[in-house]
Amino acid sequence: MRSRRDQARFFGMPRDSFDWTLFLTASALAVIGVINLYSATSVARAALSDIYVQQVYWLVLGGILGAVVAVIDYRHYERLGYLLYGVGIVFLVLVFILGKDIRGSSRWIAIGSFGFQPSEFMKLFLIIALAKYLHDDPRTEARSIKDLALPALITGIPTFLILKQPDLGTALIHLFIFVTVCLLTRIRWQTIVGIVVSAGIFIPLWWTYMMKDYQKQRIEVFLNPEANLLGSGWHAHHARVAIGAGGWRGQGFMQGTQNQFLFLPDQHSDFPFAVFAEDWGFFGCLVLVSLYGFLVLWAIRIAATAKDRFGAVLAIGVGALIFWHAVFNLGMVTGILPVVGVTLPLFSAGGSSVLTILLGIGLLMNVSMRRFWVSPTRTTSLLSRG
Amino acid sequence: MSNLLVPRSDVSEFRKRYRWLALVAFLAFGVIAGRLFQLQIVRGADYAQTAHENVIRRVTLPTTRGVVRDSQGRVLASSRSSFNVLLVPGRVMPSARPSRRARSGVEEPDSFTRIADTLRLNPDERQRLATRIRDACVTDEDRSPCWRPILVREDLSRDIVAEVKQHAAEMTGAEVVSQPVRYYPYKNQGAHLLGYTSEIDAETLAKYRPPGYEQLSAEERQKQNPLGYDQGDIVGATGVERSWESYLRGQRGWEKRVVDARGRYRTGPEAERLLDAPSRQEPLPGRDLRLTIDMELQQSVERAMRAHVAGAVVVVDVRTGRLLALYSKPDFDPNDLAGGSGKERIREAFNKLYTDPLRPMLDKTMSGVFHPGSTFKPFSALAALEDKLISPYEKERCDGYLSFGRRIFRCAHVHGKVDMREAIAESCNIYFFKLAESVGMDRIARVANEFGLGQKTGIGVNPEAAGRIPTRSWYALRYKGQFRIGFTLNTSIGQGATTVTPLQLALAYAALGNGGTVYSPQLVRAVETSDGAVVQDFPPRVRQKAKIAPENLARVSDALYAVVNEDKGTAYPVRDRTLEVAGKTGTAQTGYVNPGSDDPKKAWYLSRDHAWFAAYSPAKAPEIAVVVLVEHGGSGPTVAAPIAMQVVKEYHRLAAARAIKLAAAGGAKKPEAKDAKDGVERKPAPAPGADSEPLPRDPPPPDPNGPPAWLPDPNDEPPPADPGDEP
Repeated sequence: MRSRRDQARFFGMPRDSFDWTLFLTASALAVIGVINLYSATSVARAALSDIYVQQVYWLVLGGILGAVVAVIDYRHYERLGYLLYGVGIVFLVLVFILGKDIRGSSRWIAIGSFGFQPSEFMKLFLIIALAKYLHDDPRTEARSIKDLALPALITGIPTFLILKQPDLGTALIHLFIFVTVCLLTRIRWQTIVGIVVSAGIFIPLWWTYMMKDYQKQRIEVFLNPEANLLGSGWHAHHARVAIGAGGWRGQGFMQGTQNQFLFLPDQHSDFPFAVFAEDWGFFGCLVLVSLYGFLVLWAIRIAATAKDRFGAVLAIGVGALIFWHAVFNLGMVTGILPVVGVTLPLFSAGGSSVLTILLGIGLLMNVSMRRFWVSPTRTTSLLSRG
Repeated sequence: MSNLLVPRSDVSEFRKRYRWLALVAFLAFGVIAGRLFQLQIVRGADYAQTAHENVIRRVTLPTTRGVVRDSQGRVLASSRSSFNVLLVPGRVMPSARPSRRARSGVEEPDSFTRIADTLRLNPDERQRLATRIRDACVTDEDRSPCWRPILVREDLSRDIVAEVKQHAAEMTGAEVVSQPVRYYPYKNQGAHLLGYTSEIDAETLAKYRPPGYEQLSAEERQKQNPLGYDQGDIVGATGVERSWESYLRGQRGWEKRVVDARGRYRTGPEAERLLDAPSRQEPLPGRDLRLTIDMELQQSVERAMRAHVAGAVVVVDVRTGRLLALYSKPDFDPNDLAGGSGKERIREAFNKLYTDPLRPMLDKTMSGVFHPGSTFKPFSALAALEDKLISPYEKERCDGYLSFGRRIFRCAHVHGKVDMREAIAESCNIYFFKLAESVGMDRIARVANEFGLGQKTGIGVNPEAAGRIPTRSWYALRYKGQFRIGFTLNTSIGQGATTVTPLQLALAYAALGNGGTVYSPQLVRAVETSDGAVVQDFPPRVRQKAKIAPENLARVSDALYAVVNEDKGTAYPVRDRTLEVAGKTGTAQTGYVNPGSDDPKKAWYLSRDHAWFAAYSPAKAPEIAVVVLVEHGGSGPTVAAPIAMQVVKEYHRLAAARAIKLAAAGGAKKPEAKDAKDGVERKPAPAPGADSEPLPRDPPPPDPNGPPAWLPDPNDEPPPADPGDEP
């Protein structure tokens, strides 16, 4: 017979340790994001004008799913880690069979009238799989290239599949999550040198043989931004103008002309930050960037307080997910990085993106709530009290 | 359940790393904040300016070119609307766009077929247009040519325009735009003097907009390009359209409009807020011109010349130098050249005109030079009289020829013994050869120059030819050999190297008629604003006064009277008893063209003489001088003189009709009638019952009891008798 105690342990929910800081930070970002989407789509055609409403629906759904994810003790995810990973890979393969073709790449699977983007969720499955691997392989000495081979393979399979879609941005996020997680572990310095050298050889080959023309073009635009303002440099240029026009205090909510007069492309998906910067200016931007920075630092703090390797890697992985998304997107929009299609967490419109981030936050919450675990014996006493 | 949960593991491997990761994250966001500082604060003002410029577009406001009217207020040149159809490729043929399905779920139907049907495109044109649209829509991003309108049809007929407008809903992407095109209601009439307009050519444009023009400041631009020429602008190419361009053109205005990234205009308070002052500059319409030409007279000239293929007629007011008709044949229809019907048609028209051997593009009244023939004789006679080298009563014997050394100079008839009057009336060459022998070339040239022959008149409309009155020094330069007396003889009868333009001759005969005053020819009488107020009125201008004794002038005038009115006169057979005309016929040799060297028919035609008649009327108190030239027309008395008679008759008929009308209008409204003297105000309202046509501008015929009008001081024109004042 299953006792109440066992049930309580299955959920493992110490109620008093709810992480309000994490919750409020994420909520603040989500609320600002919706308000900004309202401004970004207010002028656009009818087809876009209800995007912010959809975003609210997705946030609510994501919040519920995130709560569910947070409530289930993360050690169950550890147990099911490779299974979840396998499901993710299956969906990625399905994309090639069922995928919808948009602007030359297939990233979506249609479910009813909704598009579902498996590569978004794959990020979380990858984090779980990496966490499980590191959890199962505790070490005190530095790791060599041999020890990294398996996690590299775990990362490589989805990255390759996503690159084939092709979706450079998401593939890069996978890669950088892996790199971040690697940085968490102790690696032999010879191995690091080896990786850097082989990357030096591999990247030019990749540029020549594997990059799509449009991807090369974006990087060339980044390297020489003023060369072709009307053509491929158009997006980057107008995003910069919008941000710059914000000045100290911004033009005011829904007053930015670059956005209101349609000079910003993809203002709801990849460039919402430009809209925000134009409306709210440098002060607003500082608040927003601080929120993202704080969220990432808080994830590191959660990792540091995690009581096992799985939880720590999980927190670092989700932190890396938010960090790289934010840095790539902000870097791209402000023109310090080339244009790669990476969303800004909780700011960009899009169901899969919002769900992924909120599920990730759920995982963070999960780890955070279980940080006071000390020893199996104490657990019993703690739980018996609750 | 506890077996489900894996035991907690050691996290010591990670412990030292968190600080570094946190530092990296902090730095990364710090870099982004720094970049934001750079963009928003350091360079914020520049970007704000760029953002502002992005949404503000200066739209030029078109101006209207001035209207040209004749002396009676008839419109000779104005602007009409030409309707062109523009298509936006991406909207006409959405199926050609690559991303059509991706962007919107709604299937947009192609309107191409419907549009092609409406525009009556033939299968070939349809094919070409479809290819053009597909080529434009290879990409369909925001700035692709797929969204740029293309010009499909120019100058559509009204019914097609109406159809396109009526069924606009079915023709997505098609737009009718109207464009002003110069319109000449009188077509060929006055084509040379009016000229035509055309699109500004690259060379002229480069003069106004040299490289780097866009970078100049507003003032420098104004200096470089005061009329604001831009690509595709319409400019006057010849005639009044060209020489009065700066008046006719007007000044374009501009207006700032708020525009979005797709080039759509935005209105409403949100958009207005972005406009900075000044937001608009009104266009200045071009000035209207009032010409001295009387189109009705011009038309009668055209009728009179109908039997001949080439020639020129000039009718000038003897008292003012104002040109009443200026006709050059063959002519052209400036509507064909002014555009509207498409560039291809214009090119065709030009090709046809420039290959025509009769040179329709040449304004023969002022750009063409011809031997004046016998019409030059009065000036030779004046040269002799002035220096008292010959007594007008002394008779010379004409045997029909005169030999000088090996050369024989011929006369048309054997005239027997003739004095000066008879020599002019009967046009005896021998008398003038003998006269020239004693007078000499340079004296003849001096008198001819006194009357403005061989010099540009300064009309300033079309490129003017100077003609030539040769002198001994000219011959010395031109012919290295010995000076031959034959040169002088030929000069005296308007042959040899002597050439004039019909305009010069008309002004010279006007001077013969008015007592020696050579006027500057005047074609534009006044500049007016578009609502009819006179901006600038041009009084007659005296170019020079011929230094000729009045009694000598009277003697030659008398001889010119005899040409028409005495039975031995060359023009006597074609005279009109009702007219008082004094004039001189001329049959100018043009040089023999060997039939072998050319097409025989053409050679025959080109060998024929030019027929001239130069006259003024009425003989005793001249009002107009008329010069008729029929190129290769043959004999002056039989070909040119009747035309001149007809023109003179028409002039008097028109003058009389206008005098009656003026009397009617003046009787009803006395004070305004006085304004008619001025001739340029359009405001006198027609009296009830009077014709709505503007009041005549010409002074009524002079009072027969008044002072003879042929000796007036031109600057002090006596007020014409106002018939309204007489009871």
